[in-house]
Amino acid sequence: MKVKEVPQDDEFFQPDSAVQLRDRTYALDENGQYQEVPSAGWKPKNEAIRFSWDNRGEEAEALRQKVIAGKCSPLVYHMAKSVMTPRILADYSGFSRREIHKFSKPKHFETLEQAELSRLAEAMNISVEELTSTD
Amino acid sequence: MQINFEHRHAAHCENGVVRNLLNFYGVKLSEPMILGLGSGIFFSHMPFYKLHGMALTSFRYFPGSIFTRVTKALGIEIQWHKFKDPDQAMAKLDEVLLSGTPVGLRVGVYHLTYFPKEYRFHFNAHNLCVIGKEGDEYIISDPIGMHINRLSSEDLKKVRFASGTGPPKGSMYYIRNLEKYRPLDAQMIEKATLRTCSDMLHIPLPMFGAKGIAYLARRMRKWERLYGKRGAALNLAQIIRMLEEIGTGGAGFRFMYAAFLQEASVFLNRPEWNQLSMELTEVGDLWRDFSYHAARFFKKREAEVLSYDDIARKLEVISDRERIIFTRLENSIKRGK
Repeated sequence: MKVKEVPQDDEFFQPDSAVQLRDRTYALDENGQYQEVPSAGWKPKNEAIRFSWDNRGEEAEALRQKVIAGKCSPLVYHMAKSVMTPRILADYSGFSRREIHKFSKPKHFETLEQAELSRLAEAMNISVEELTSTD
Repeated sequence: MQINFEHRHAAHCENGVVRNLLNFYGVKLSEPMILGLGSGIFFSHMPFYKLHGMALTSFRYFPGSIFTRVTKALGIEIQWHKFKDPDQAMAKLDEVLLSGTPVGLRVGVYHLTYFPKEYRFHFNAHNLCVIGKEGDEYIISDPIGMHINRLSSEDLKKVRFASGTGPPKGSMYYIRNLEKYRPLDAQMIEKATLRTCSDMLHIPLPMFGAKGIAYLARRMRKWERLYGKRGAALNLAQIIRMLEEIGTGGAGFRFMYAAFLQEASVFLNRPEWNQLSMELTEVGDLWRDFSYHAARFFKKREAEVLSYDDIARKLEVISDRERIIFTRLENSIKRGK
């Protein structure tokens, strides 16, 4: 890659503008010597990231419909939305994986107490109200 | 308090942390040299080891190995810690930090608040450096950021004990002393390069090294049958992300290793390494070409889309080229020219 070909396609919003995340690419100058060039991003990469992100959104939406139909509990939807697997949620919340699977069923989810709900909500960085709804 | 630490931006998180830490102790090495000396370039595709439910494809060696290898080569004494208890981990960090030592940490990016939300997935091999503490906030030098920033102790605890594939478990590392420090010499570079060649060429399993790329190509041809159209595209997206995303290297690693070969060719006075460097640059361009064509799968411009067979063929070409380059590199050292 040549220095002037280094891509600068910045697309994603950075929450902390002070940090300014950048890639840094090693590219050849006219004399065939390597130079370091900061790069803001590259389109194909951004597309790949967006694709997996959109896909995740669609999966979560499909699960939301299942929750509304009463086939599984809102926990399943929120788990998909925050890209967690039962194992990861079990690690963060302190419940066992078996319990997480149990709470995925509506009838067990309804019996959860406030303290247990807040433990689950905290592990996913959302409030208890969000956890119990599907909006 | 803040340690007088020069923050420099780097292409890859681990190289960056190692370079900045060494720089703090007056050992001045370039980032490509760190990569070369740490034998950081690699390839593996492991269908049995999952990240986000998909096969892990990695373009670098195990996290932490670059730091260990570089400091070992230079004779620098280091210390690693791993913890079970988060509070203990934070207490130890404070203790080391207060003695004026910058500390490297391995963290997960999922809870890292200053990352764009699109980058935040359960990836647990990001490295950053803690260089100070003010009140409840830690001062962070993240090598992929252009500037230093701050993170609350609550957030830092969370990222240090992230969950998922390969959890960091509060890993921290720092340099203990430089009593037995040896300056960079030709022998170290040759030894590290031989190790790189050995990793790339002689691991007797199909999924590692240059032949691992051909293995990935073979797997790729089966994807549509195994996972369906959508699953195959998701797997491909995962590869591109690992190839290009901040911190994981990939095509960028090929360019960086080429930069190392160029630097080493001057240092060792081996003009043929510069030739190899140019060839590896071409391979890096091939990787980018692969990403470019693969990304069209997600845009769905039907007329231009290639089949999985076509892009798998591109990988086979890359596999061959890399095998030839590293074989020549190995031979050039073994013959002693």
